[in-house]
Amino acid sequence: MLAYIVRRLLWLPVLLILISLITFALGIYGPGDPVQVMMGLHARPDIIAQVRKEYGLDQPFPVQYWNYMTNALRGNFGYSLVKYQGQRVSDLIAKRLPVTLQLNLVSVCWSLPLAIALGIFAALKRKSWLDVFLRGMVILAVSIPVIGLQPVLTFLFSRKHEIGPMTLGPFLPVGGWGGIFSPQVILPAFILGLGVLAVFTRQTRAAMIDVLNADYVRTARAKGLKEWMVLVRHALRNALIPLVTLIGFVLAGMFAGSFIIESFYGIPGVGQLAYDALISKEYYIIMAFTLMIAVVYVLMNLLIDILYVFVDPRIRYK
Amino acid sequence: MSNVLLDVRNLRTEFVTQDGVVHAVNGVTFQVDEGETLGLVGESGSGKSVSMLTVMRLIPMPPGRIPSGEVVFQGQDLLKLSNEEMRQVRGNKVAMVFQDPMTSLNPVLTIGTQITEALELHMGMNKDQARKRAVELLKMVNIPEAERRLDDYPHQFSGGMRQRVMIAMGLSCSPQLLIADEPTTALDVTIQAQITDIVKRLKHELGMAIIWITHDLGVIAGLADRINVMYSGYIVETAHTKELFANPLHPYTVGLLGSIPRLDQGKKEKLTPIEGLPPDLVNLPTGCPFYDRCTFRTQKCLEENPPLMSVGVKHWSACWNYEAVREKRDEILRRTVAQPVAA
Repeated sequence: MLAYIVRRLLWLPVLLILISLITFALGIYGPGDPVQVMMGLHARPDIIAQVRKEYGLDQPFPVQYWNYMTNALRGNFGYSLVKYQGQRVSDLIAKRLPVTLQLNLVSVCWSLPLAIALGIFAALKRKSWLDVFLRGMVILAVSIPVIGLQPVLTFLFSRKHEIGPMTLGPFLPVGGWGGIFSPQVILPAFILGLGVLAVFTRQTRAAMIDVLNADYVRTARAKGLKEWMVLVRHALRNALIPLVTLIGFVLAGMFAGSFIIESFYGIPGVGQLAYDALISKEYYIIMAFTLMIAVVYVLMNLLIDILYVFVDPRIRYK
Repeated sequence: MSNVLLDVRNLRTEFVTQDGVVHAVNGVTFQVDEGETLGLVGESGSGKSVSMLTVMRLIPMPPGRIPSGEVVFQGQDLLKLSNEEMRQVRGNKVAMVFQDPMTSLNPVLTIGTQITEALELHMGMNKDQARKRAVELLKMVNIPEAERRLDDYPHQFSGGMRQRVMIAMGLSCSPQLLIADEPTTALDVTIQAQITDIVKRLKHELGMAIIWITHDLGVIAGLADRINVMYSGYIVETAHTKELFANPLHPYTVGLLGSIPRLDQGKKEKLTPIEGLPPDLVNLPTGCPFYDRCTFRTQKCLEENPPLMSVGVKHWSACWNYEAVREKRDEILRRTVAQPVAA
């Protein structure tokens, strides 16, 4: 088991080199130039050239890549060139990651348990009107783009509405970050959780239906077990196996944040940072962000594979 | 030993599907005495498993439904019990062992957990008592190192061992009736013999009644006291085992016996199948369901489905022409087992 984990971890640097090479190449050869963005359209060419030289951007690709990687290994991921001029990229991410993580934690905390409960419920009441209704809601939830849902919900809940003589609202404040217990968190966390809710309701339902038709569930019933024992001990335990993979991806996704939600609601998380970086072609930030996500995904995958051992006794690593 | 343990009367089971109502069991009536072993024989789809799942009330409803029938077990109609009352009968007084030991055990729970949970529930044992009993049970079905193997998972056992574990589970609460649904079908022949030997021995030791479902007449011959032959949801013949093998009086039974491969058969002789297919269970014929495949058929068979008629001592057959069967079957059986292909 330990040997397996070590072997998996040895792959991490190889993956990171490949991912960083691709991202770095895209940043340098791709369209847009951070210096141009920083200096404005009317800057004098000789000044631009001088700035490029200062930042080492005139060097050939291998040299730039080498410099970047050796600095990165020492913990220096470069500086912001445009929007957060002069700030260290590592500081920027370190400051914003907790905000993103907290926001996503709230969204996963309400959506994941609810989704699993709804999925089990739909599986048990299969083909009833409730199952059909849930299925419709799930399709609706995954189909509505966040970019359309966000303004509608914001309009409904955070504005004052005059209905005849009555004045309603605003019910929920939006904008900025006030911690996980502030009311501002409700709308963004709700919208972020919808996707998780939809996917997991569907997957839990499918996994449960699969398992409820299994021979061993019939055996459990033939033993005269109480229905909750059949469901929890015999069915759900097995239905969890396919869900573990998905849960890993959701947890990894928590680190990536959401470009749209964080930018629209002015939440200072990594999603907003990455969005700003993309707009102003700040590839130091994009590089660091991409590498971070890569590491998280690799580690999460490893974590899932380790978790399998505890969920499914048939799996053993050598 | 003639106290009736299980009395099934006019039992019907149907499934509502998109293609129509599937008539899986069509008015089955039979009895099982205490300590008796009853064989239930028939091909796939003849209703043998479904009728027993109905007795256990393990048919998913919907799509299943039971339009009529009584299942009287120890004077109590199981079909009239509440779910909770039925739950206390299942695994306790009536236990069931299923066909495929590879899929019938829960892969994520240890054997110990799977055996002890019923003991704790039905017998009110605590963890230690249940574990002790589980070890006894595993020893009873010849699992070596029972104590240690209790903490193993199903995938660590072979197919034959898993089926023995299933039997141990079935016997755990000392049921009065054990229903074995093709318990040897998924196993190879030597393991089949092991399992049947174990069941025979345990039946003797524990004195329970057994209903053994199979499509293999060879397995049932040495095991059952009495045999019900089922076809498309009907019992078409029932008799004591020796009587049935010596004196079959339904064309389907004759066909089944004729299709058994024999060791004394010449190399070039082919097996004799029963030609044709069983009827569509959605559109059952008004007449005899075996009509299409029958060599004894007459006009009456097409018009009226024969009921079970007494044709001998404790011997019933659902065939209008059983007298013709009696006269001609020896010739058929001789021909089917002694007909060279090249001739």
